[in-house]
Amino acid sequence: MADCPMPMQFPTTESPGGRVVPPAGRREPTLLMEPRTFTGFLVAISAVIIIAVLSYDSLRQTTAASQGLTRAVEALAQLQGIASTLKDAETGQRGYLLTGVETYLEPFESAKQALPLNLAAARSLLAEEPAQQHRLASLMVLASEKMQELSDTVQLRREGQTAAALQMVLTGRGRDVMERIRVLSEEMQNDERELVGARSSAWRKAATVSFAVTSGGSILLLILIGIAAAVASREFKARQRESWLRAGQLGLSGVMQGDLPLERLGDNVVRYLAQYLDAQIGAVFVAEGSAYRRVGAYALPSGDAVPMRPGDGLTGQAVKNDRPMHIRDAPPGYLPVASATGRAHSTELLIAPASVDGRAYAVVEFGFFGKVVAEKQELLARIGEPLAAAIRASKDRGRLEELLRETQVQAQELQSREEELRVNNEELEEQSRALRESRAQLESQQSELEQINTQLEEQAQTLEHQKDALQQSHAILAAKSAELQRANDYKSEFLANMSHELRTPLNSTLILAKLLADNKEGNLNENQVRFAQTIGSAGQDLLTLINDVLDLSRIEAGKIEVSAEPVSLASTVDSLVKLIEPQAAEKRLKFTAGIEPGTPDEIRTDRLRLGQILRNLLANALKFTRQGEIDLRIFRDSPSTVSFAVRDSGVGIEPHQHEVIFEAFRQADGSIHRKYGGTGLGLSISKDLAQLLGGAIAVRSTPGTGSTFTLTLPLEYSAAGQPVKTPAAVPRATRPPGAETKAAMVRPAEVAAVSIADDRHRLTPGTRLILVVEDDVPFALILRDLAHEMNFQAVVVHTAADAVAAAEQYRPNAILLDINLPDFSGLGVLDQLKRNPRTRHIPVHMASVADYRREALELGAVGYALKPAKREDLVEALRRLEEKFSQSVRRVLIVEDDPRQRDSLRQLLTNGDVQITAVESANDALRELAAATFDCVVLDFNLPDLSGYDLLERMARQEEVSFPPVIVYTGRSLSRDEEHRLGRYSKSIIIKDARSPERLLDEVTLFLHQVESNLPAAHQQMLKAARNRDSSLEGRRILVVEDDVRNIFALTSVFEPNGAAVEIARNGREALDSLARSIDAPAAGIDMVLMDIMMPEMDGFTAMREIRKRPEWKRLPIIALTAKAMKDDQEKCLAAGANDYIAKPLDVEKLLSLVRVWMPK
Amino acid sequence: MDAQIDSDPALASRRFEIEFRLLIEAIYHLYHYDFRGYAAASLRRRLKAALVHFQCGTLSQLQDRVMHEPAVFAALLDHLTVQVSEMFRDPGYFRALREHVIPVLRTYPSLKVWVAGCSAGEEAYSLAILLREEGLLPRTLIYATDINPRTLQKAEAGVYPIERIAEFTVNHRESGGSSSLSDYYIAAYGRAIFDKSLRDHIVFSDHSLATDSVFAEVQLVSCRNVLIYFNRTLQDRALMLFHDSLCRHGFLGIGAKESLRFSSYDAAFETLVREDRIYQKKGAV
Repeated sequence: MADCPMPMQFPTTESPGGRVVPPAGRREPTLLMEPRTFTGFLVAISAVIIIAVLSYDSLRQTTAASQGLTRAVEALAQLQGIASTLKDAETGQRGYLLTGVETYLEPFESAKQALPLNLAAARSLLAEEPAQQHRLASLMVLASEKMQELSDTVQLRREGQTAAALQMVLTGRGRDVMERIRVLSEEMQNDERELVGARSSAWRKAATVSFAVTSGGSILLLILIGIAAAVASREFKARQRESWLRAGQLGLSGVMQGDLPLERLGDNVVRYLAQYLDAQIGAVFVAEGSAYRRVGAYALPSGDAVPMRPGDGLTGQAVKNDRPMHIRDAPPGYLPVASATGRAHSTELLIAPASVDGRAYAVVEFGFFGKVVAEKQELLARIGEPLAAAIRASKDRGRLEELLRETQVQAQELQSREEELRVNNEELEEQSRALRESRAQLESQQSELEQINTQLEEQAQTLEHQKDALQQSHAILAAKSAELQRANDYKSEFLANMSHELRTPLNSTLILAKLLADNKEGNLNENQVRFAQTIGSAGQDLLTLINDVLDLSRIEAGKIEVSAEPVSLASTVDSLVKLIEPQAAEKRLKFTAGIEPGTPDEIRTDRLRLGQILRNLLANALKFTRQGEIDLRIFRDSPSTVSFAVRDSGVGIEPHQHEVIFEAFRQADGSIHRKYGGTGLGLSISKDLAQLLGGAIAVRSTPGTGSTFTLTLPLEYSAAGQPVKTPAAVPRATRPPGAETKAAMVRPAEVAAVSIADDRHRLTPGTRLILVVEDDVPFALILRDLAHEMNFQAVVVHTAADAVAAAEQYRPNAILLDINLPDFSGLGVLDQLKRNPRTRHIPVHMASVADYRREALELGAVGYALKPAKREDLVEALRRLEEKFSQSVRRVLIVEDDPRQRDSLRQLLTNGDVQITAVESANDALRELAAATFDCVVLDFNLPDLSGYDLLERMARQEEVSFPPVIVYTGRSLSRDEEHRLGRYSKSIIIKDARSPERLLDEVTLFLHQVESNLPAAHQQMLKAARNRDSSLEGRRILVVEDDVRNIFALTSVFEPNGAAVEIARNGREALDSLARSIDAPAAGIDMVLMDIMMPEMDGFTAMREIRKRPEWKRLPIIALTAKAMKDDQEKCLAAGANDYIAKPLDVEKLLSLVRVWMPK
Repeated sequence: MDAQIDSDPALASRRFEIEFRLLIEAIYHLYHYDFRGYAAASLRRRLKAALVHFQCGTLSQLQDRVMHEPAVFAALLDHLTVQVSEMFRDPGYFRALREHVIPVLRTYPSLKVWVAGCSAGEEAYSLAILLREEGLLPRTLIYATDINPRTLQKAEAGVYPIERIAEFTVNHRESGGSSSLSDYYIAAYGRAIFDKSLRDHIVFSDHSLATDSVFAEVQLVSCRNVLIYFNRTLQDRALMLFHDSLCRHGFLGIGAKESLRFSSYDAAFETLVREDRIYQKKGAV
């Protein structure tokens, strides 16, 4: 540094060698400028003063000379004037004397007046010249004498004494005087002329001097100014250079700040320096042992970082020299710079070592395309020391960290050794204790053994006895079992016999009753005939009952054989129609029967049994229908089954009775058989028969409007056939998802061509823009005009694809979105918009003819309008959109009834861009929520008018309004149940306590910054995936046995959109209770169990084992949810009774497919 | 070890090293216990001790037995896992929990605590007692997990030799306990059994930090003197589980000689009480 050219510097505190700076390094306060500058100023000032004095003096001389000259010239003129005046006077006198004409006297008269003036002037002009004064005095005397003589002659002539006058003239006195005057005047004039000459030369001399002084001074000043300018420019340049250097140093120290590891430091330094120096390429090498390692590179190809030693190459040389090196004309191939489009070579290089305390810690090297100015080298020289220091610090720090880490590891190692030692100790103690105990035991065992021996013998005997007893009881049991079997057989046989025995007398009773009732002989009165009829019909009923009982017992005893044969459906229907039509006509009911197209002509089954079932069902329908119609319809239900649906418009059956009606000896209502008669066995028999035929019967019914019984049979009866799935048990999806889309499918071609004039080509920045997505042209026009009316610009598109593109392109402030679009659903558009980070903040209002309100709001729409929409609704929609996007502040609603608490909450949450609305009752809160959109709600649980739950439920039901995140803030402790219930609505629950304000603040802040997307993307994805599934879960009940709120929520939101009901149990015990309850209420039967393993009270393994112990739950599908990943953990789940398992964290797709696989069909 | 085989110490140590790795792999593949991420030095010492205990000359002999006798493996597991703790160990830690963590936990309607590596249950019972004293136990569920089923059984029993109770009592008092420890156990026959009502709030479960995943959202994770047996990678994995399991602003307590510094999760936690190694998860959005 010392041998570098040092620019002139102002003394600063940093320059330790500054001569002016006192050793303390503090600036002398009185000294205003550097002495050299001060001297310069002094020189300049004195030069100016001297020049001024000299100029003044010469100027004064010049002035004096010129004044003298002027005076001399004037005096000369006056003298000449005197002479000429006297001559004029004499001429005038002579004229007059000759002519006597008065006019000739005019010159004389004027001379008489002018002369004294001339004389006075001359006297004053010649005041400084005593010789001339003398002469002037004589001249004056002579002049007055002459004038006297002239006046005398003129006087004489006037008096007429012309001769006397002439005489006087002739005396010559006048001429003498005149002559003397002339001579004197001449003398004086000559003197004056001489004086003029002398003065004029004096003036010239003075003028020359003055000019010389002036120009000399000017030149001197110019020189001084020149010097000053040169000095100033040099200093400015130096300062500029200095500030550049200093900025560089400062910037570098900036990037070296912080505890940076060596690589980061190297990269920072080389990047910064390369940019600051405008270098094309650069690298920094750090000393490591005796070699140098590259730790940072700028624009350098990675790799080839070969360590080098000091003295190797130029870089090494720079280290050796310990000073920056500047290499001009670097050889080609040196530090080549490459980019995607080409490569070039650095022409100049700067290599600088960074040393501190005489040790080089690093070398930096930069390559340039152009010339390198000296400043750059200087900068590198200056940063050497700080860079070295930083690298040293970084290395030290690295070593320190390494050491710390090592210490940490050693401490841990020590700790683990200590722990192990303790274990060993404990083990030793344990062992010695065990040893002691075992010795004592051994002794007692010895004696015990003897005792036991004797006991053993006794026991052996007892055992022998017991064995005998066991064998006996076994034999008894076997006999009992055989007896039981026999009894059962007897029962069936008895029933069969009995019914036969009953039927025989009954038959005759019936015939006789019929004969009596016919009253052919006419000897019975009306009453008697009716009695006979009653006997007949009672007998008929009895017969039916007997037949039914018999059938049932035979079916149950497995005595019925199925004889499968091809059965023509048409003839089956025919025979049924023949049978039923008269009965229907009798009851004035309409009976229709038909086979739907696509149904096979015949199926293979048992003709008799099929007929029996259908007759039963039709008879049932007839029985319970008083008016209206009965319909039998045969259709193909699936490729392998055919269904027979018997629909009536009768009384119907309550849902909870649907299962009961199929049970033997039970009817939907105890009072029914009183009202409608019948045994109630018909349906049981039909059901059993249907099962026997490999089919099933299902019922769908609404009380008051009728029932439909559907018999489903396989096309092909097979002895091992299993019951087929009944379609009626699974109501079809109430809304086919594609219906709306399908209706619109035909339109795209026609729609694409239509286009409405909108504002897309004349968008003015700053104006609010609304994107209208609507394929119905008239409605789109209405929306566009309405938007204009409300000062929006509008862009109108007609398809979903255009909508997404336009939202991206125009970034509207708000979007009005139709659901029914020609290409795909508006819900899809909404989903795409909400998933795109660039569009998800745009508020979207939906409109459609169908009600997808829930889906739309769930996906993040701000509102939903049902078409046809009233104008006010549309205005309201636009207003809501406007409010949403113009709302730059976050809005928080506080619902709290205690005024003090309310106030303190407001205080707590108030900050710049949060607007807080505080209300005291649930009703106020609902009103506020309906009126405005909030980003977060803080809710106290105890409110005067409604409970917190009720409020939340109402909020969830206010469907036009999106549901903001709710933080429940309550002083009440909650039970687990309550917490779970709240979990649906509330994102976070905070119990009031000392530390709750800060947690509340944290949570509120979190939600306010999360509002960009109402639902996390993963969650939306999940919902969407779930929604698109087939409806195999529709109407199913899933028992989720899980303890974690997070998982419960996730599982619920997967299953519920699919139409499955989710029941929650929080541990194995609750799961068992829940299952037990479901047995009592068949309508709430559980179809599947999802079982967590780690749970309180009773874990999943135990619960599954318990479930499998019960025969009725043997086939219940159980899927285990386990956090364990290893294979044998999962095998353990299977061993405990799970059908399958899925590892946590749960993968929704995988879970859904598992559930579909295991869900009973 | 067998002097006649391992005459050359360098060769012997190389052989031991290979056998060591083979055994660990064998255990992983057969029994699915993953010790590959454990600190090797400690594990080596434990195995050397096990050799003596099982009276095996070499690790290969031990491996043979482990491979073919599940009971031997179960016993070996006791040797491989260091099961040592005491109640209210490092009373300062529990005092810090009382002062800095409990007040925040009060604001949650229900609480879950995860004691990872619960050993014979001392720590889980300590926390249960502490929470009962603070009135939080009724709404708390403590998950106590360990990889060793035998110690879990011990933990579930909650029975400790009566000699240890004196030490527990001192610790409990120093931890700022407001009640007497004797309120929570019944001593008889040289043993002390802890109150069953404490156990109602503890779920003991088999869970491996090396292979298993997160199972619940918890507000406090206490995992002390477990990480010391792990290498860096496994320490990071365990910390990842804790991090994922904790709710926003949830708490993590680790052992006195352990530190989050140098781990990948240093930045994800804030230090709450440095000297007692209590950290709080940052509430990133």
